[in-house]
Amino acid sequence: MNKLFASISVEFKKLFHSKIPLITLLTFMLIPFIGGFFMFVLKHPDFAEALGFISTKAQIIGSADWPSYLSLLAQAISIGGLIIFGFIISWIFGREYSDRTIKDLLALPLSRSTIVLAKFLTSFIWCLMLSLFVLLVGLLVGMMLDLPQGSKGIVAEGIIVFAVCATLTVLLSTPVALVASIGRGYLSPLGFMIFTLILAQIVAVAGYGAYFPWSIPALASGAAGNKAYIVEEVSLIILLFTSAFGLLSTMLWWRLADQC
Amino acid sequence: MNDVIYTENLTKAYGQTFAVNNVDLSVAKGEIYGFLGLNGAGKTTTIQMLLGMITPTSGTCYLNGEKVHSKNKDIWRHVGYMVETPYSYPELTVRENLDVICKLRGIRDKSCVDWIIKNLQLEAYAAKKAKHLSMGNNQRLGIAKALLHHPPILILDEPTNGLDPAGIVEVRQLLKELAQNKGVTILISSHKLDEISKIATNIAIIHQGILIKKISGEQLEKQLHKTLLLDGKNRLAIKHTLLTAGYKVTTNNEENSPLQMKEANAVHDPGKIATLLVNAGYPPTLLQVVKEDLEMYFLRTIQEFGGDQHE
Repeated sequence: MNKLFASISVEFKKLFHSKIPLITLLTFMLIPFIGGFFMFVLKHPDFAEALGFISTKAQIIGSADWPSYLSLLAQAISIGGLIIFGFIISWIFGREYSDRTIKDLLALPLSRSTIVLAKFLTSFIWCLMLSLFVLLVGLLVGMMLDLPQGSKGIVAEGIIVFAVCATLTVLLSTPVALVASIGRGYLSPLGFMIFTLILAQIVAVAGYGAYFPWSIPALASGAAGNKAYIVEEVSLIILLFTSAFGLLSTMLWWRLADQC
Repeated sequence: MNDVIYTENLTKAYGQTFAVNNVDLSVAKGEIYGFLGLNGAGKTTTIQMLLGMITPTSGTCYLNGEKVHSKNKDIWRHVGYMVETPYSYPELTVRENLDVICKLRGIRDKSCVDWIIKNLQLEAYAAKKAKHLSMGNNQRLGIAKALLHHPPILILDEPTNGLDPAGIVEVRQLLKELAQNKGVTILISSHKLDEISKIATNIAIIHQGILIKKISGEQLEKQLHKTLLLDGKNRLAIKHTLLTAGYKVTTNNEENSPLQMKEANAVHDPGKIATLLVNAGYPPTLLQVVKEDLEMYFLRTIQEFGGDQHE
């Protein structure tokens, strides 16, 4: 356990000495502010009219109230999270290959599985912290906008949906680590993320989103137009299986594949 | 098996290509073992197999009598290593990079970081980020990471690459001291025989994945070819005189280069040659026995094996 904690602290040290936390934080901060801006536009039709096309886009989101706003945040974390969380995990794994520091991690008196697990835990923790930050700033923006229908029940439900979507999206980032390890850098995982994001949209439109892991968080957020729903059991199993596959296969890859 | 580093029929094949083919190495405790080969000869692949970074196609590696495999992680406590050009986390300082290794190795006593920074003359750079280090200092940092935990076994792949002459001497002295005073067993690879011969007690030459020669430092000295160089005012007459006396004389293609004699009777008795030439009325102005350059020996060994000099 001490070895795992030591590895996690090393991973956090590497992460927080890089620009990745700042870049991902600033990128994610766009979510509540853009969402808030849309709510502001919807809430003030005169201003929306003056803006022209923005008001048209904003109307797609629905009405200026807490349920729409929280649903927007959940959708944004489900879709944007695939990219940002994937980016974080691809950096944490891929940088060891790109910077050629992997060699320093291969002949140490701690198992490679511990190193891989530490990397996953570090990225999960940072991704969840980012999500929490988005939620807190989102709630603050919502309060500042004085959105209607802000009963405790509605806000609590919105928070739960957001938390579920964020967690599911974070869990889906594990296969990115496998692609980064096999591809030995950043490029292939970035390609993989874009591919899964596009495929998720197509599969969801085709009506099979509940069975395609990368479509599931967005469906859970209500992005398909339905009200946010409780994730179906089969979807949850598919998603958890995908996540476990990504985690275990990355561990096996680090342990068994030739690394140099 | 008393050898600290030992490989048995070590082989790595990629399809039909053998990167390393049946390599047997044995390095005794406290020995500095030079592992020599041209670029692409199989040095790094052998070292990576020794360090468990790649799995051999066949054969086995042992470190301290323990078999190297993915589950046997405790053997790495006793091994310090550097493979090819060292890379460090660019966003961390020299000290932080060393701290990272300390943590991952489970070392609680952080004084080893100060010790190694001082010993490798990294004090001036300790607070500098690795991305701002020169190639030589990056190399020092790589060596520092290998030595940080005072390992009894050191495996270093081209450790002096990128170091300036002073740095090369420092590292050489440090390695010698570690082997002589602390009994550290060192396997050091290089493509420079000249450099290896200055510290290694035994040398193995690998070429095209095959170990073509194992030789001790003493044997190496004996195997170096010697040549008698001679010159005089009338080079043609000197050559003619020697040929008439039954000696073999060669010249290289360069203009004004001295005559060369490689036969043992000439090399071992240059006085006899001098007497012959003086008596003939062509006293030599140059009479010098030179030892074969180590690089030449290395290339000759490879050529005798039948390989190209450059892959």
